[in-house]
Amino acid sequence: MELSWSTFLLEIINFLVLVWILKRFLYKPVLDVIARRRTGIEDQLAEAQRHHDEADTLKAEYENRLADWDQERQQARDALAQELNEERARQMEVLQTTLAQEREKAQVAESRRRAEAARGIEHHALQQSAQFAARLFTHAAGPELETRLFDLLVDNLSSLSSEQIAALSTQWGEPPEVIMVASAYPFAEDRRQRLEETLTEVTGLSVPVDYQQTPDLLAGLHITIGAWVLHANVRDELKAFAEFAYAAG
Amino acid sequence: MNEESILIKPVFELGPLIITNTVLTTWAIMGAIWILAWLISRRLRIEPGPLQTAAEGIVSSIEDAVAAVTPQHARRIMPFIGSLWIFLVIANLSGLIPSVHAPTRDLSATAALAIVVFLSTHWFGIRIQGLKNYLRHYLAPSPILLPFNLISEITRTVALAVRLFGNMMSLEMAALLILLVAGFLAPVPILMLHIVEALVQAYIFGMLALIYVAGGIQSQQLRENKQGDSHA
Repeated sequence: MELSWSTFLLEIINFLVLVWILKRFLYKPVLDVIARRRTGIEDQLAEAQRHHDEADTLKAEYENRLADWDQERQQARDALAQELNEERARQMEVLQTTLAQEREKAQVAESRRRAEAARGIEHHALQQSAQFAARLFTHAAGPELETRLFDLLVDNLSSLSSEQIAALSTQWGEPPEVIMVASAYPFAEDRRQRLEETLTEVTGLSVPVDYQQTPDLLAGLHITIGAWVLHANVRDELKAFAEFAYAAG
Repeated sequence: MNEESILIKPVFELGPLIITNTVLTTWAIMGAIWILAWLISRRLRIEPGPLQTAAEGIVSSIEDAVAAVTPQHARRIMPFIGSLWIFLVIANLSGLIPSVHAPTRDLSATAALAIVVFLSTHWFGIRIQGLKNYLRHYLAPSPILLPFNLISEITRTVALAVRLFGNMMSLEMAALLILLVAGFLAPVPILMLHIVEALVQAYIFGMLALIYVAGGIQSQQLRENKQGDSHA
């Protein structure tokens, strides 16, 4: 164990050289690459943080936008619901009005139909009553009734005023050549004479009278003077009664 | 292998300098480290391969160890302390190679490293604190302790050199004696102990050097911090 000064000095130099070698070829490059990697990682972290912040900002923005959209959608939905309710109420009102009008129309039509039916029934009843009366008079009427009707006719014609006679004379127009008289039963001579006298007195005409027997008249006379026809018989009176009653109803 | 093989032998002379096998081994280790460092530094990438990962792990571990002791000056001290650790680990383990003797079994080499540590302690202390502030720490905590501080500087340097030399020399001597007594393959357990001892001694030498350097740097700062606390 002895100290060699050459070895001592050379070892000192060797170690200082080794420190320089390691510092130049190992520590500095390795620490530089570690620093570069750390810088890169920090840059990536900063970039990731920036992206994260941007994502947070975008997320908040989209959430606000979604909230706005939801609010607008809710408002639009409320407005639409209100509009639908108003339209529904209006349509219901129109429908109820239309229904009321239709109901009124139906009621009018129904009442009209019922009136028509009543009138038909009444007309039918009148006709049936006229037929019934005609049938009744077919068996019940006789020369006595005709005589009474003839007397009633002559009395009425005799009691006409001059204005009424003048009004009647305008109805037959041109003076007829013949006056036609129909009766249900054979007309006796004395009554023919009395009738001709009354007619001549009332009409002022002195034309021949043609007599015919028509059993359909049941009882009474049917006198035709030109255009004027005088119904003084049961058949025509019943018919007239039925027509007048129907027209009055 | 005989007992003469453990002795320091001069190989050749270079002018006034005598080149021993210790120096040659040291040069070989330096060459190997240089080539390896050059290969590593030539292929450095942001995404490292296995070799670069190992290199970065070693450098980061050394930096962390230095930063744990003196965080403010880690970047300045780390190359020196790291070089000590790397060189001592390789130099101590080089004795496992047949016909190669560890440079650290030579007192001249360990004394040189101890002197380098001694000088670097003052170098870093003066560079960082200034000469006046650095020298003042020899008077702390009391000027009476100045002789003891000076003796401590010398003895710890001597201890640093002798501790490493003694351990590595004794390991090789023990292996040689067992080989002489028991024969071939018998010293294998001792060689395994050699590995552990080489790593431990390298760690101890580097850590003590780190503590000495950090102590020289931080003594003035510690005193300033104490004064600041007392004023507060």
